[in-house]
Amino acid sequence: MITKFLTEVSTVFNPFSPKAKPARLFLSFLPPNARQTMKVTTILLPRASKDPSLLELKFKDGKEMKLDPELLGIKGVTEEVNRHSRMLGRQEALQ
Amino acid sequence: MPPRIQPSRGLGSFLRTRQSHHRQRYATAIGAYTSTPSHDDIFLSARPVLKFPSTQPPSHKLPEFRKTQLLRQYASLLQSTPLMLIFQHNNLKSMEWVGVRRELNKALQKVDEARVAAGQPASENMADGIKLQIMQTGILAAALNIVEFYDPTAAAKVKKSKKAPATFEDGFVHVLSKAAYEATAGKGKKHALSPLLAGPVVLLNFPSVSPAHLKAAFSILSPSKPHYPAPTRRASPGWHDPPVQAGVQKLLLLGARVEGKVFDVEGAKWVGCIPSGLEDLRGQLVAMLQGICGQLTSTMEGTSKSLYLTVEGRRTMLEDEGKEPCVEEVKEEPKT
Repeated sequence: MITKFLTEVSTVFNPFSPKAKPARLFLSFLPPNARQTMKVTTILLPRASKDPSLLELKFKDGKEMKLDPELLGIKGVTEEVNRHSRMLGRQEALQ
Repeated sequence: MPPRIQPSRGLGSFLRTRQSHHRQRYATAIGAYTSTPSHDDIFLSARPVLKFPSTQPPSHKLPEFRKTQLLRQYASLLQSTPLMLIFQHNNLKSMEWVGVRRELNKALQKVDEARVAAGQPASENMADGIKLQIMQTGILAAALNIVEFYDPTAAAKVKKSKKAPATFEDGFVHVLSKAAYEATAGKGKKHALSPLLAGPVVLLNFPSVSPAHLKAAFSILSPSKPHYPAPTRRASPGWHDPPVQAGVQKLLLLGARVEGKVFDVEGAKWVGCIPSGLEDLRGQLVAMLQGICGQLTSTMEGTSKSLYLTVEGRRTMLEDEGKEPCVEEVKEEPKT
C-alpha cells in the first residue's frame, strides 16, 4: 500500500465486531513512522455498539476519501488508496 | 514460519506404526488365554507397557511442531492468567518495544515498592510476572476455544463410561489430546474474544487481579485523562523519550479478559478504578454484612424487649388487680 501521500487517517470501529477487521488491518499496514508524517486518529466504539466501521483519509493534494471498510474489505481499501496515490506519484514525477 | 524442528520422515512413519504395534500386542494378549500361557505372555504382554514418559502424554498433532507447543503454552497461559489486556500493535520497531517494556516494568516496580512500604508482604510482588507477549492469533483462538468450551473432567467421564480404550490415543483428555481436538475443532463455537484475535495482537498478562498494577499499566500504555494520567516528566523522564512515545502511540487497547469474562475498553478501565483491589471489595462486603447483622440483632432484640415489657406490664397490672380483692378477702376473713 502506498502511504506516502496520506496526510490524515481517521478510523472508527467496534473491535468486538468481526466486520472491524479491515479497519484494524488498515491501521496495521501504516508504516512505523506513520505518526510522524500523518495524523492518525482512532475511535473505539463500545462493545454493544452496532455502528458500522468508518475510514476517512486525506491526501496531500487535499482529496478526502470516505471509505466503507466493511463493504470494500482490506483489499478494496488498499486498491482505492493505491489508485489515487499512483496518480499523485505520477504528477510528482512529472514536476 | 517453518517449524523449528523438522520431523524427519523416519520419525513420522515410526509414529504411525506405533499404533499398529500396540494393537498387535493387545491381540496376542487375548489369544494367550485360549492356550497355555508361556513365560513371555505372562510377564511381557499382560502388563501394559508405558510407551511414553508420564509427564508427556501423546498428543494428537505432532508434538515436534512449533504450533503444537504454542497451543499447549497458550492454553496453560489462559488457564492460569486471571487478567489479560489485549492490545493491537501497529508496526512497533524493536527499540520502541524495548522502551515500552522498560517503562512498564519501572512503573510496576514502583507499585510493588509502594505496596511493600504500605506493609504488604513482599512475596506478593508481581511486577516480574507481568509481561507483554506477542501472540499468534489463530493458535490463541484455538487455545481459547479449548479452555472455554472443553471440559476435561466431563470428557474423562465419557471415556470411562465407554469400554476399554481401543486405540493408542484414547483415554487421554489433556489439552493436546484427540478428545480436546474433536471437542473444539470445527464446531462453529465462537468465543466473545475471537473477533479481537485478528491482525497483530499483543497480550499483557497479569498473574493475579491487582487493580493497582493494572492502573500503572494503563497509565503507561494507554493514558487517558481523568483516571489514568500519563506519568509526569519529572517522575519518569524515560516515558517521554521519542521512541517510547512513538511506541505508546502505536499500541491500541482493544479489550480485556478478567476472570474469564470479556470486557471492552470501558470495562477494563473500570476494573482499574476499583480502589485497592479485591481485598478492599471483600472488606467492604464484610463491613456491610456486619452492619446488617448488627441491625438485625438490635431489631430482634427490640421486639423481644418490647414484648417482654408489655407482658411484664400486663403481669404487674394483673397482679395489682388480683391483689386488691385478695387484700379485701384477707381483710374480710377475720370477720367471718
